[in-house]
Amino acid sequence: MKDTFAIINQMQADGVIGRYAIGGAVGATFYLEPSATLDIDIFVSLQNFSGSKLVSLSPIYDYLTARGCRLDKEYIGIAGWPVQFLPPGDALDEEALLQAVATEVDGIKVWVMTAEHLVAIALRTGRAKDFIRILQFIESGSLHSGKLDDVLTRHGLLAKWESFGDKFLGDKP
Amino acid sequence: MSERMQKNLESKRALRSRHAALPFAEKLVMLEKLRVRSLAIAASPLRRRVAK
Repeated sequence: MKDTFAIINQMQADGVIGRYAIGGAVGATFYLEPSATLDIDIFVSLQNFSGSKLVSLSPIYDYLTARGCRLDKEYIGIAGWPVQFLPPGDALDEEALLQAVATEVDGIKVWVMTAEHLVAIALRTGRAKDFIRILQFIESGSLHSGKLDDVLTRHGLLAKWESFGDKFLGDKP
Repeated sequence: MSERMQKNLESKRALRSRHAALPFAEKLVMLEKLRVRSLAIAASPLRRRVAK
């Protein structure tokens, strides 16, 4: 996976993408114990040269396919890992991207979403595996309750959070 | 809950905490191994037979 990040960083250095942040299960692994995943979710801000408001992933795909990466549905294989590039879909994604924390993987700098943003995005997405991940975060004690409260409030997720608590914790989380 | 079950749960929780505390790079190596195993299980003829 180190090679995957090295290629993404090179793409960033070459100006194809702007800021990026690792989300999903791989992002969660920064804070939690590893749990099986088949792909890497990369939230990414794109340079918009055309002036259009429509977001296109073509520059990413063109750059990577020219370097031997192969497209497979919504994924592109980079150094053996299917990667999904996700442009921010709303203010929560934008904020998660902006506030991502820098870390290193064997000397390669990468950016990972904060635990609170990962939880907020999982709550918004709302699949069974997202709820499991939220429970893992709660159990691990890696969440800052004040920060989480702020994120959930800012992005209108408090009602969902309370419903999650009622359903899975038997009380408000 | 029996004492034995209680011990099992505590042991699992401790293992998960130890894994969570590992450096990110080490955890990514574990993710690679987990992915290989997941793909192997998914490709297993036995699994496909059961799925029918």
